[in-house]
Amino acid sequence: MRVSRDHIATSHVGSLPRPDGLIAAYHAIEAGEPMDEQVFQRTLGAAVAEVVQRQHDIGIHIPGDGEFGKPMAQRVQYGAWWRYSWQRLSGLEIGSAPGPFDTTPRRSRPGEVVLTTFGDRRDRSRFAEAYADPESGITTGPRPPAPVCVAPISYTGHAAIKADIANFKAAMQAAGAADGFMSSVAPGSAARIGNVYYKTDEELLYACADAMREEYKAIVEAELTLQIDDPAIAENWDMVNPEPAVADYQKFAMVRVEALNHAIRGLPQDRIRFHLCWGSWHGPHMTDIPMRDIIGVMLAINAQAYSFEAGNVRHEHEWKVWQDARLPDDKLILPGVVSHATNVVEHVELVAERILRFANIVGRNRVIASTDCGLGGRVHPQIAWAKLEALAQGAALASRQLWG
Amino acid sequence: MLYSTDRILTTHAGALPRPSELTEMVAAKANDLPYDAATLDEALRSAVADVVRHQTDCGIDCVNDGELSKTNFTDYVRWRIAGYETRPSSGARRLSITARDETKFAGYFEANPRRWSLSPRTMPVCVSELRYVGQADLARDLGNFKAALAGVNVAGAFLPANTPGTIEHWMLNEYYKDDEAFVFAIADAMHEEYQAIVDAGFLLQIDDPDLPDGWNCLPAITLPEYRKYAAMRVDALNHALRGIPREKVRLHVCWGSHHGPHHDDIPLKDIIDLIFRVNAGSFSIEASNPCHEHEWRVFEDVKLPEGATLIPGVVGHCTDFIEHPDLVAERLVRYANLVGRENVLAGTDCGLGPRVGHPSICWAKFTAMAEGARRATKTLWGRF
Repeated sequence: MRVSRDHIATSHVGSLPRPDGLIAAYHAIEAGEPMDEQVFQRTLGAAVAEVVQRQHDIGIHIPGDGEFGKPMAQRVQYGAWWRYSWQRLSGLEIGSAPGPFDTTPRRSRPGEVVLTTFGDRRDRSRFAEAYADPESGITTGPRPPAPVCVAPISYTGHAAIKADIANFKAAMQAAGAADGFMSSVAPGSAARIGNVYYKTDEELLYACADAMREEYKAIVEAELTLQIDDPAIAENWDMVNPEPAVADYQKFAMVRVEALNHAIRGLPQDRIRFHLCWGSWHGPHMTDIPMRDIIGVMLAINAQAYSFEAGNVRHEHEWKVWQDARLPDDKLILPGVVSHATNVVEHVELVAERILRFANIVGRNRVIASTDCGLGGRVHPQIAWAKLEALAQGAALASRQLWG
Repeated sequence: MLYSTDRILTTHAGALPRPSELTEMVAAKANDLPYDAATLDEALRSAVADVVRHQTDCGIDCVNDGELSKTNFTDYVRWRIAGYETRPSSGARRLSITARDETKFAGYFEANPRRWSLSPRTMPVCVSELRYVGQADLARDLGNFKAALAGVNVAGAFLPANTPGTIEHWMLNEYYKDDEAFVFAIADAMHEEYQAIVDAGFLLQIDDPDLPDGWNCLPAITLPEYRKYAAMRVDALNHALRGIPREKVRLHVCWGSHHGPHHDDIPLKDIIDLIFRVNAGSFSIEASNPCHEHEWRVFEDVKLPEGATLIPGVVGHCTDFIEHPDLVAERLVRYANLVGRENVLAGTDCGLGPRVGHPSICWAKFTAMAEGARRATKTLWGRF
């Protein structure tokens, strides 16, 4: 894995703005319109080539494929990072049962943490009017019908991941990018679906782990950095109602971590980075679990590097948590230094200031500057690119201060 | 003068959430549509009382009337000065605070058009001598605010008023010989409002987004030209403030509160001397959004004017995420360490009411700010 050897390396969390042509193609597929597979692949391949080149040109050292192979049929769309898995896993039936917003809330009890419905999340309950107001800006795009597991889960996305890898590798080669990452959803986040097949939540979780392992293997075998996306580790806290004891929640989250570690067992750790976030919707986020209460759980994940939100007003102060954290010597962090939480573009000097704070605690070689979450689908394309440019320029400024 | 003598005090920049029925009546009145004057007066009186209580409930020490009677912080002046006529227009202002950003982010602005204000879509054009005619409206605001303050315990009470340079954004001049004469004429008219607010015993907040955001209105201007442009408007403002003790005045500056990229806002360091040239005792400055957050460092080199206080924005309108109280405290402590704890009050980047997604977001940000001020107090004084 690339480290910040003589300058602060830059990357981001994954989703980048899709070109209109690609959105239109996904929209057509979603609507059931006929689509020539070769034509689609050409559109996708060209879009990936362009987005990798652009990242390279503006100074993103570890580019991604923008998650372009993960279907997004709208410009504003927050869920592509996990919904894509519905098309790569067998055993799911889509739209046959009430979705996660419509089912009956489930209440947790001390020592017995369970996830409630999306609609019963605590931030959503506390700010019910704000969430319900279509003009409030707390939008996450359309909600497609949700799946229910009705049969054994296995991975069926081999062709899709193969195409993603081929498109990305070709794009990297064309751009002259030596390093690249590809995201894939974690078992804990993939398993947040309805289930009538497996006897327990844990069985479903491990079925997802075994299935998703196929995708993880494909990515690392292609010599790409695998980024495991698992906001569920942190944001499930908000999805437990009423608020549980921290220790109970940590225990609950550790089950998801163990399933993830099971899924990545034996894979080279230096090819794996982990992304944590608290959910990227534009709500108040008053019920986010503090980083200090979840950092130990995160560091138990067998990854080489940890990516997390640190560039928004709910989590910016948590840089101090790293003063006391025990980050093993060989591990890296990717703090978010620009964010999807606002359209205002981060000033280059602020980006540098944020990077320096982390570098001064964990060492300059162990910080890769990144974003809070994927920017594509969450902010306007022009804003997304301006933020990535600010990220690259801020990292360059920080590098000058750190290396002279 | 309000100092944070033994703890960090809290205040905010102005506009607060307004009940939607009241907003509808204010808009109807502004657009010559039917409305019931007595109902509006009563709704306003009761809403101002509510909004004052809401502020104190959230832990705000220096409160205002939420600007509830106004179409917005600047357009309200349309109904308070005479000497202009209105002509049909698209509703666009003479100067646009997004002009500079639009040169780089046209696609963003096309996809996210700015909302029109409540005011009529006409262009005011100055065609004769300007004079202040807002006495009745102003007396109503002063009366409502005074009544709302009875029985609540606050450290301070302020009322905002707009500046000549910002009024100039939406009024054309066909009467005065040049920009300077025009801006000074606006200043002469507004002097009456400023004086009346202070005479009523309130702290006068001068809302001067123009001082920074005039730069955004004029994409082609150079920095030396802009400093000249801004200096003349500061002089006009000081002319309007003549005779008013500076401790009765606080200046609010921000870079225009639209939710766009703000990619090329003028750096604070380039105008801080002009900001401090205003005859004010207290300075409220946007400081919490990611375009300006780093500018606390300006105060490593620049001293506050003697006896002045600083009100950095420690919560903002640019995101609906609620600032964590620890972040608020961190920001306040940074400023306190540079300018002295007694000289820092916690403030907001701009008026939150119409600029965040929902009223509940505004109040949650206030509560976070008050809690952050308590935590900063603990750090700075060693106690709550």
